[in-house]
Amino acid sequence: MRIGDALLDLARAHGRRSVFVVGTGKNAGKTVAMRAMADAAVARGLRLGITSIGRDGEAVDASDALAKPRLFLRPGTILATARRLLPSHPASELLDFTPWNTAAGPVAFMRVRQAAHYELAGPSTAGGVRACVRRFAEFGCDQIIVDGALDRVAALAGGEDAVVVAAGAATARTIEEAVADVRALAARLGVPRFEQGAPYVRVDGALTAAHASRLVSAREERQVVVRDPTQIALSGKALLGVVSQLRLRCERPLHVVAATIASIGADRYFEPREFARAVASATGLPTFDVYAGEMASAA
Amino acid sequence: MNFGALLDATTAGALDVAWLANQLEPLSEPGRRANERIQPFRPHQEREAQAHADAIARTAKKLGAAEVHAMRDVLRTMPDPLPAIARAAMGEALEDANLLELLRFMDAAVRLQPHVPLDPQAREVLQILEPGRAGKFGFYLSEKFDAALSSARAAADRAQAEFDASRGRLAQRVAADLRRDEIPGSEFIVMRDTIDLLPRGVRVVREAPTYFLCELDLDEAALESLRRRDAAAQAVATAEESVRARVSQALRERAKALEALVELVGELDVHLAHVRFTQQYRCAPAHIVSEPVLRFSNARYLPLEAELEAQGRPYEPVSVDLSGAVVLTGPNMGGKSVALRTCGSIAVLAAFGIPVPAETAGCALFDDVAWLGIGAQEELGGLLSSFAREVVRLNELLARPAAVGLLLVDEFARTTTPHEGKALLVALIRVLQRRGRLAFIATHLDGIAADARVRHFAVRGLKNVPKGAPAGDLQAALAALADSMDYAVYEVTDGGVRQADAVALAHLLGLDDDIVAEAADVLRSERTTS
Repeated sequence: MRIGDALLDLARAHGRRSVFVVGTGKNAGKTVAMRAMADAAVARGLRLGITSIGRDGEAVDASDALAKPRLFLRPGTILATARRLLPSHPASELLDFTPWNTAAGPVAFMRVRQAAHYELAGPSTAGGVRACVRRFAEFGCDQIIVDGALDRVAALAGGEDAVVVAAGAATARTIEEAVADVRALAARLGVPRFEQGAPYVRVDGALTAAHASRLVSAREERQVVVRDPTQIALSGKALLGVVSQLRLRCERPLHVVAATIASIGADRYFEPREFARAVASATGLPTFDVYAGEMASAA
Repeated sequence: MNFGALLDATTAGALDVAWLANQLEPLSEPGRRANERIQPFRPHQEREAQAHADAIARTAKKLGAAEVHAMRDVLRTMPDPLPAIARAAMGEALEDANLLELLRFMDAAVRLQPHVPLDPQAREVLQILEPGRAGKFGFYLSEKFDAALSSARAAADRAQAEFDASRGRLAQRVAADLRRDEIPGSEFIVMRDTIDLLPRGVRVVREAPTYFLCELDLDEAALESLRRRDAAAQAVATAEESVRARVSQALRERAKALEALVELVGELDVHLAHVRFTQQYRCAPAHIVSEPVLRFSNARYLPLEAELEAQGRPYEPVSVDLSGAVVLTGPNMGGKSVALRTCGSIAVLAAFGIPVPAETAGCALFDDVAWLGIGAQEELGGLLSSFAREVVRLNELLARPAAVGLLLVDEFARTTTPHEGKALLVALIRVLQRRGRLAFIATHLDGIAADARVRHFAVRGLKNVPKGAPAGDLQAALAALADSMDYAVYEVTDGGVRQADAVALAHLLGLDDDIVAEAADVLRSERTTS
């Protein structure tokens, strides 16, 4: 099957034009998933806008010196990246500078004129990322892809984006651990819309571990409503515990549409089909192995 | 603006010069650099200061606020080209981002016509960069710069297409052998249980118990097209560098003209900041004089006016005529300190040749504006009492070698005994008079002006005694006070000044009724005794 097309179809359902790929950790396979979608978008003739929250697309990971997939982008693609990462060759069409600062200088928009490898380091603040998505739309992009970051999900707030969650062998020691992580991430980002008319208690601001613990202790049975899933400041086992004991709901749900897996880590392998099936079963999401070209669904 | 050349940090704090600096701040980097170079006019530069203020006023009158706003918008979004110009001047090849900055700067300069003259060399820069214009705001090192670039890129595109086709054929065959729809990325996995043998054209990168991590093993034809693509990409790089070097050299030859243009744009930004200030705050140029005087009619202390405006409360302008040392008296909350601050900020603006927020004004160019008393931030250590700190500060102010100084004194010696405080204040005024210093001295103490034989101004004070506001409602009390207070400053010529209104004000501000009644009794009995 064509994974990029399948992911893109899910991302573009209901007229959505932007998709964020959020991983459970570093090297979870986000860039590979993003590249598959980017290739599919270009093959369909869509005008693509692409960026990353923080740095991505480098040949070597800046923090752990491991080789990383690079982004080979085709002419017409618009990207937002730090000014110091703009390649000298081939020359690109510079569209605009922005005030969003990164470690590699302020972010600039550019249009690819000749196919080449590019590094991405987009805005690192939630406000900057949202503004960046708006600018892509102003530049006429039909499809926007953002390489997200687990600690920057605040950037999803206030958007109508699709979300793809990515799990990889590099992020956990065992399949069980990796599955638990992605299940928690999907549960957090996939908190459903609150039910009108049913009793509820609204949480102003972030739902912290301490606040959630008090609600659990008080055996709160009403819906616990946050503004949007990014306001849930819990992850991993703590989040799964809270989800099982509280009726967590939100006013503005996100649209988690798929999961991807990468069964190859720097120093470990997971059995790909078992991993994909387990992720699909735990998250209830269609789960894609971009490397194997296969998909698993929840039974 | 170098406010530090005119006043110290204590005075700057008391006059809220930070507010003023913020209002006068230009918007662009060249503007900020020009702003940093601004020094106050010194005594004997009256003509220049006057011309400067008049020029600002003329522009403010000539241009509408909307036009000024539009020009400032151009300046706000304009990039700073100076780093790029400096690099070009040093012989470096500029990056495309630098060239876009220069192009946008030149576009901004054109939009600022006729306020920034473009000399022929500057116009040539526009022509040099023009082939790179892409869309409305963009830049691309396009083929219009050089035909060689055009052919190199066309060759690179062909080579890329050949490689894509070559690799695509290989990927298609491998996908078919593996019974897949596609081989999408550079790496893919093949499950061991799905094949007997890996197909030709596949190379194993890593092995796992149940699968192989593979990549396409390019055949000789694909490798050859890859080599051609890389060579073509290198040729593009060489051609692009050659264009950049040529454009950078052309800019280097015009670097002086560009630097001068950047400076002019910066100066215009500063000028427009002052024009906007003049328009927004209805300012007029002061008449700059060589005698040490400060006089104005219907002047406003802008930070307070802005604060009151935000609260929907009116502001009452004041008129003052200072020469030599002058005493100012009046009730609490009557605006004595504000009158002093008005003098200070008008003196500061006039010193920088900027129109002042007054109907009319006449002002010397002061080389030192100093504040002593309430409102000054206390910089000295906690071991000193309030009085001691005042004395130390006064000593320091008197020692300054100002040719034309303005001293603003707010309640000096208020913390010592009234008897001695009065003696000290009278003595200070006499010394200031002898030294020919211009000073405005606010005090609560009686008879100072008469004893020191100087002019005496007073705030009129309460027109009527307002009814007490509901206990604890400070905003209501302040509103009632604003309605009842006459903030006008007038010159006392007959020696008689109204009584202060402290008890009535305390009542208005909600002081305990028993205390207010007792205080009124004490005052009545004092009057009866006298």
